[in-house]
Formats: sequence, structure tokens, C-alpha cells
Amino acid sequence: MRRARALPLLVLASAFSLSACQTVQNTAGTPTQYLDPGSSGVVRGVGIEGQDIRSMSDEMMRDLLTVPALANASISPNVIVDAEYFQNESSSRINKNIITDRLRVDLNRASRGRMQFVGRQYADMVQSERNLNQAGVVSGGTIARTAGQLAGDYRLGGRITSIDARDPRSGMIERTHQITFEMVNLQNGQIIWSNYYDLRKAAQDDIIYR
Amino acid sequence: MKYSILASTLLLAGGVAVLSGCSQVQEPAGICNMSAIAAQRQLAAAPSRVQGGESPLLEMPLNSVSITDYSVINKLYVRTVNARRTPTGTVEVYAQIINCTDFPLNAEARTQFYDAGQAPSEPISAWKRFNLPARTSNTYQTQSIGTQSAAFYMVELRETK
Repeated sequence: MRRARALPLLVLASAFSLSACQTVQNTAGTPTQYLDPGSSGVVRGVGIEGQDIRSMSDEMMRDLLTVPALANASISPNVIVDAEYFQNESSSRINKNIITDRLRVDLNRASRGRMQFVGRQYADMVQSERNLNQAGVVSGGTIARTAGQLAGDYRLGGRITSIDARDPRSGMIERTHQITFEMVNLQNGQIIWSNYYDLRKAAQDDIIYR
Repeated sequence: MKYSILASTLLLAGGVAVLSGCSQVQEPAGICNMSAIAAQRQLAAAPSRVQGGESPLLEMPLNSVSITDYSVINKLYVRTVNARRTPTGTVEVYAQIINCTDFPLNAEARTQFYDAGQAPSEPISAWKRFNLPARTSNTYQTQSIGTQSAAFYMVELRETK
């Protein structure tokens, strides 16, 4: 009976002595790692990742520059590159703008006047300023007035599609993506250029893309 | 006695010949002689930063493919590397790469284009990935951004990790 009473006291005493041993772990935390955006990162899954975006936009941009109707026309064509007609039908969660923005910026920088880019996504912003200008609310712009905003000659279209396969025993997931890019003539609908980028990945880890 | 020794020797030789004929296993193509590949590799000094001086950097000469990865340097062989002008004047580089191993490999390559003065003429291309099943070849291909500004190129090749 005496031993039974002594046991809780012993446990309490040892817990107290152990807690007394705890000290502040006075070391630096794990620093943020800067990774090469062109290579696979630390967290890898079966979705479309940063290195895929870079690789596909670079590949498409270089290929577009070999199309004479776009890169060698006597009058630089007006091109619209945005995500409006670029659909994501795949099982991957992705912001489509990351693909089309990068492609537009790369292409605009690389074309050096061989193409003109129309910012259709900024049409409201442009119209708002035009309205203020026409109403005489603002004045002093240095660019000559035009009858309207620039019309597009060609516009990017495309879609992201995927096929999924899962092994229920191992939890292994395999996903094949196909990202199709097409440049469409806005007068007659002719597709003047097409290309696609595909990737197939398998993984077991549960990666969440946001 | 002499005849029996001669006969048994001939029999043995014949047996060996028959056995070797049966046991010969043909290795599938491509067969890479890595010693010969290493002997062909010629490094060139990079352009010197000091006039009349020598660069401490030895690299693959321009217009070639440089394998920058220890893990595949004795596994891959660059059969050809060539370039041509596209209809819009950009430069298209294409290189045929052979997987010398009995295992599939994932590789990736990127290209830096240089102007006539050997200065980089545009940003380096993104890594382009390609698959090489066992004992097969695949083609890496990319284009320059610029037209007349691209005079030379250098391709870097590594394993995809």
C-alpha cells in the first residue's frame, strides 16, 4: 500500500526533473530554399509543374517564331495570346494564365516587332481611358487618337487534357497530360499553326496543387 | 597412339568450335565503344578575357553537345549535331542522342546561341526533356529566337532528375 502511494510521487518527481531539462532550441530555422525554376523541385507530383511551364512556353515560343505568316510577314500581324480560348479539361488544377502569360511575354520580347500583341484582357482599361478622353475629362495624351482599339489577326486557342490511371493496391497514380496550342486566323478560322506538349508522370506521394 | 592423340585433339577443337558457335550471344545495337568516344572528345579553351592570355576554362568547342552530368557521361553518345536555317531565318539545332545502356533514361538539354563575336545573343533556352528507351536514339531539337544574331551554339545535356 505504501508502495502504491510512492509510485505517483516518483512519476511526478521524474516528470518535473525532465521538464527542468527542457531548454530553448536556440538555432536558426530551416531557411527558405531558392530552387532552379527550370528543374524539378523538392515537392513533386503528377501535375503540371513549374519546370513544365517553362519548358512548354519556351518550346512553343521558339516554334511560333519559325512560322512565316507570323514572324516573317511584310506587315506585322496583330496577335492575341491569352487564356480566353485556352481550356483546362484535365484533372489537374492549374491557373491557365501561367501558361499563356509566359508564352505572350516570351513571344513579345523575342519577336522584336515581328508581331504586334493586342492586350485584349486590358480592353476595359483602354476603353475607360478612351471614354474619358473623348468626353474631354482628360487631355494631354501624346499618342494619336485611333478610331478604335486594335483588331486581332490571330488568336491563341488550345486545351489541356489528361488521362489518369490509379493502382488501388499501391496507391500509385499515373497521369498523362497533353497541352495543345493553336493559332487561329480571326478572319476565316484557319488554324495556321499547331503544336502540343505532352508529359506522363507517375507518383505515389499525395501532392496537393493549389 | 599418335593417331589417337591427334584424333582426340581434333575432336576437342571441333567441340570447342561447336560450343562457341552455340554460346555466342549477339549484343543488340547500338554498341558504344566508350574508350573510343572518350578519345574523340576534344576540349577547347574558352575565349580568353585577357588579350593574348589563355583561358583557364576548358569546354566543348562551339557547335557541339556538352554532356554536363557525371551520371550519364558514360551512358549517352551524341551521334550527330547539326544546325540549319528555318524559313523565318532562325537557327534550328538538332542532335541525335543514343542511349548505350540496357535501361531507359530520361535526359534533357538546353541551348545557348552566340553571335559572331561569341557573346550570348539571346537568353538560354529552357531545358527540353526527352526519353531514351534502352539502346535507342532520340533527337533533341530547338530553335533560336534571333535570326542573323545567332551564329554559334552550344548544347548542354544532362540526366532528368
